[in-house]
Amino acid sequence: MELALEEVILTRKNWSLSARGIFSEGIHLITGRVGSGKSTLAQAIARLMEPTSGNIAYHGISRHTLSMQFPEYHTTGHLVRDEIRSWGLEPERICMEAGLMGRAHERSFALSRGELKRLHMSCILAGTWDLLILDEPFSTLDPVWKHRMRRKILAHHPPVTLIFTHEQAVLPRVDYLWEIRGGYLHALGPVPEAIPSWQGAPRYIEEVLKYGVVPDNITLEDAEDALCRMHA
Amino acid sequence: MIVCTALAFRTIAIRDLSIPSGHTCVIGPNGSGKSTLLSLLAGIEVPEQGLITIDDETPRRTDVGWVGEFPEDNLIFRTVRNEIASALRFRHLPDEELEPRIGQALRDIGCEYLLDARCKELSGGEKALVVLAAALALRPKVLVLDEIDSHLDRSTAEDVQQILPSLSCMHVLQSTQNMDTASDADHLIYLEEGQVRYFGPPEEIFPNLEDTPFYPTLWRFAAWSSHLKR
Repeated sequence: MELALEEVILTRKNWSLSARGIFSEGIHLITGRVGSGKSTLAQAIARLMEPTSGNIAYHGISRHTLSMQFPEYHTTGHLVRDEIRSWGLEPERICMEAGLMGRAHERSFALSRGELKRLHMSCILAGTWDLLILDEPFSTLDPVWKHRMRRKILAHHPPVTLIFTHEQAVLPRVDYLWEIRGGYLHALGPVPEAIPSWQGAPRYIEEVLKYGVVPDNITLEDAEDALCRMHA
Repeated sequence: MIVCTALAFRTIAIRDLSIPSGHTCVIGPNGSGKSTLLSLLAGIEVPEQGLITIDDETPRRTDVGWVGEFPEDNLIFRTVRNEIASALRFRHLPDEELEPRIGQALRDIGCEYLLDARCKELSGGEKALVVLAAALALRPKVLVLDEIDSHLDRSTAEDVQQILPSLSCMHVLQSTQNMDTASDADHLIYLEEGQVRYFGPPEEIFPNLEDTPFYPTLWRFAAWSSHLKR
């Protein structure tokens, strides 16, 4: 399975993004500044909008979905249990997954935003997909749940997983890095080789790179291991 | 000084809390009441019981700039210029004051390029920045930011954090899930199930959280790094 961006151009009034490249099987992390087009590209890949030109090819991919940054955009069920059933899932199990045990009868929008995000992410990760596009899956989660969500993504991710994020503290181990800069999607390459050219890297990665060491991957633990190896 | 006395509202129950002027970050687990507390301090909600005063006035009699967790909810006008101007027009400021204030607010956050943009074409992060600019244009006494950094990349979030100390606001009240951001505040409020579990400067609060994921990532990394050097 793979996703191919074939000379894709997305445009608005005074803005454009050019993207080309192959998203093969694995976890791909895509970063970029505010307004660089991360969410727009995610929506185009999810077929919620047509590129201005070029083509997006889905080789062997038949089931795909997008998780938008704001969980309220996805929420259709009045009650938590209705929301879970709207995904064809069993409320009790998902409530447990989302840390919302005993709260299936509550109104979905009475949950805090972080709780709603947990509910939404638990529903989406319970599905069976070939391609999963996650736009800011960690935003609004507290640090404890960021770690839990990282574990859940690693345990349940489908063959091709795209994570668009500017999370700086709790990142999953990934296979490929991409970065949107100056109106272009840049394929930085596989990890760890791509890490030194990652301009949006978290501070702890920057600190390790200053020592001339490249961590095996992009988590804080990888950065600490790299420092440890250097001092060993 | 912000003083909360015998405060009760939904899940919030705070007996006594005095917040000195400066930059205060509200942190805590999802559902602990951060957004609810901020909306009370901003005067958007009124407590069922108890009292909040900001220099002896209620929040609703205080100039408050508000950037909510759903920036889109704050945007009601078609263009960025009119969106920022709206807050000033509602206060009947003379027309000649509008343009300088709009320009200054956008310059403060490095977003002059958005002046003539249409609000619906902005990215999520840009919407948050425009709402922030609209709040700054009011030159409020109290600026309330509800997880604004969850919409921003690292560089932009750092730019925003850097301008906060230079603002004329007496209080900046900010909720965040980024503990590295929280570690730069003057004071922290750690909420748990609607109650203040810890209140004080970061260097006093975070040692209580060292064994939890709420400890700042960069503090953890720095400690690890200096441990290895020894």
